[in-house]
Amino acid sequence: MRGTLLAIALLFSACGSETSAPPAAFRVALVTPGSIADAAWNAGAYSGLQQVRDSLGATVSHIEARTPADQEEALRSYAAEGYTIVFGHGYEFQQPAERAAAEFPKTIFVITSGQEVVGNVVPLIFRIHEATYLAGMVAGALTKTGKIGFVGGMELPPIVLGYEGWLQGARATRPDIESRVTYLGNFDDAAAGKEAALAMIRLGVDQLHHNADAAAIGLFGAAKEQANVYVYGANADQSALAPGHVVGSAVLELPRALLLIAREVQENRFTPRVESFGLESGVIAFVANPELQNRWPTGLAERVQAARDSIITGTLIVAGTKTP
Amino acid sequence: MIELALISGFAAASVRVATPLLLAAIGETITEKSGVLNLGIEGAMLAGALAAAVGAISLGPLGGVAFAVAAGMATSAIFAAVAVGARADQIITGTAVTLGMTGLTGLGARLAFGDAGAGLTIPTLPVLPIPGLAAIPVIGPAFFSQSVMSYVAFAAIAWATWLLFRTRWGLEVRAAGESAAAARAMGVPVTRRRVVATVIGGAFAGLAGATLVLSQVGTFTEKMTAGRGFIAIAIVVLGRWHPIGAGLAALLFGAATALQYTFQASGSAVPYQLFQALPYLLALAVLAVAVGREKGPAGLAK
Repeated sequence: MRGTLLAIALLFSACGSETSAPPAAFRVALVTPGSIADAAWNAGAYSGLQQVRDSLGATVSHIEARTPADQEEALRSYAAEGYTIVFGHGYEFQQPAERAAAEFPKTIFVITSGQEVVGNVVPLIFRIHEATYLAGMVAGALTKTGKIGFVGGMELPPIVLGYEGWLQGARATRPDIESRVTYLGNFDDAAAGKEAALAMIRLGVDQLHHNADAAAIGLFGAAKEQANVYVYGANADQSALAPGHVVGSAVLELPRALLLIAREVQENRFTPRVESFGLESGVIAFVANPELQNRWPTGLAERVQAARDSIITGTLIVAGTKTP
Repeated sequence: MIELALISGFAAASVRVATPLLLAAIGETITEKSGVLNLGIEGAMLAGALAAAVGAISLGPLGGVAFAVAAGMATSAIFAAVAVGARADQIITGTAVTLGMTGLTGLGARLAFGDAGAGLTIPTLPVLPIPGLAAIPVIGPAFFSQSVMSYVAFAAIAWATWLLFRTRWGLEVRAAGESAAAARAMGVPVTRRRVVATVIGGAFAGLAGATLVLSQVGTFTEKMTAGRGFIAIAIVVLGRWHPIGAGLAALLFGAATALQYTFQASGSAVPYQLFQALPYLLALAVLAVAVGREKGPAGLAK
């Protein structure tokens, strides 16, 4: 079935490439592993795609693909249609992209949170743990109970790194911190995200962080219902989701990263490499919510700023920070 | 005292998690009793969830509930038209309805809320503690301090039991489910009973979707039902095709799910994958031990 569909797709694309204009058109595609209405990881990439369209005049296309088979299929069909760049949005796209890429050497497959350069498959590495470290520092300083919690969608390496940064940061301001982690097993089930957060809150957790995309909306809902429970956003500034309950967010400026690569490709000066973004790049940042900054103990803002500077200069190493 | 508060919180979470499963399972019990296996209730639940969000924004939470019921009924009516009316394969039709609704609700959400999603600004159903009863330790927070949707689900157990086992309509539905040919010979309008039983099932799936949006999450996110429709179908089997059984099975599943969140949040060294699997392992165990003797409607999905 899938083979037949692929054959048909290839047939169509073959016809298409003969009839369409010379390969001048700059076409960029994005495959996300979940809904772009998650106000975080996928939303950021989609907004990046729109900026690539608006700033570079590219023809763009987007599709969601959740399973490895669908992801490989999506990458393949975009490449077969002659897209110049195909973004596979997430760690899990590395393997499917490697399988698909060999057949389509003219297409550049950019894997966000990918691992390594394999031919025309290139990773963008986001050292989000440098920002979650700063979020953790604030959480460690603000917790009344000494307990912090993290809800992850799945135990993927970039998500684990984000958690380790968060914990390391919290230990920096509160060495005896107790840390709890829950993995939901998916990125869609917002009701599960809420119940997981409520279970942590019942056990005394008062500072929550996540990396669970749309499912994390449940965390913000849980915090909204409780006094003295605070959330730290992930991958985007999520302060608006639960006003008065979001202390800050570990932000990933995906549009900047996507634009950077797309512009290089368009101007024919792209060379396959591992591009790694940390706090120094501005693509990664910890953004505090100014509304809640009056709750910060004196000296905390200075400590966070100093830690940020040390991370940038390389004197402070956060979990797994290796600039490849 | 801290332990009591923890147990109460856990009990309340169990019932909260069980509520949408219970609503969907009661509806599916009625549907299956008529001989129809509707795998489309996952899709009906998702349609109900989106409709609840849209309805609540314009007409308030109760308007959202009404929209959800209508959407669930409409989705199941499509299934009934194809699977019962045109006698297409029920498994394939149900799967198609669920897959179709997954895509349609994604599209609908984007049209209704834009790329940014609905946020957490949808008016929701409040928790309504029942005076007096809510003060009972553990039982109070679990059963009498819930959203109105949980009370609807409890009442639905009694209503569905009465409907299926105490009315002529229920008798005819069960006859249609055991043997369509025999029921027809007795003069039962089999197709009509099956269509109505399926649409009632859809109404309950819509209520389940409304519960997720209006009394739990407070927003619609794509694919937010996350397989609850299929779990509800398992609960029908686990509950031996009886509304009371479905109630107990849903509660068991809710408790197991709440327990897995509590286990994960308590920082134990046991691998979390084991906790994630807990509700399903429990369901398997109960199925293996308890179900053997009770068979489903003989004419199910035929």
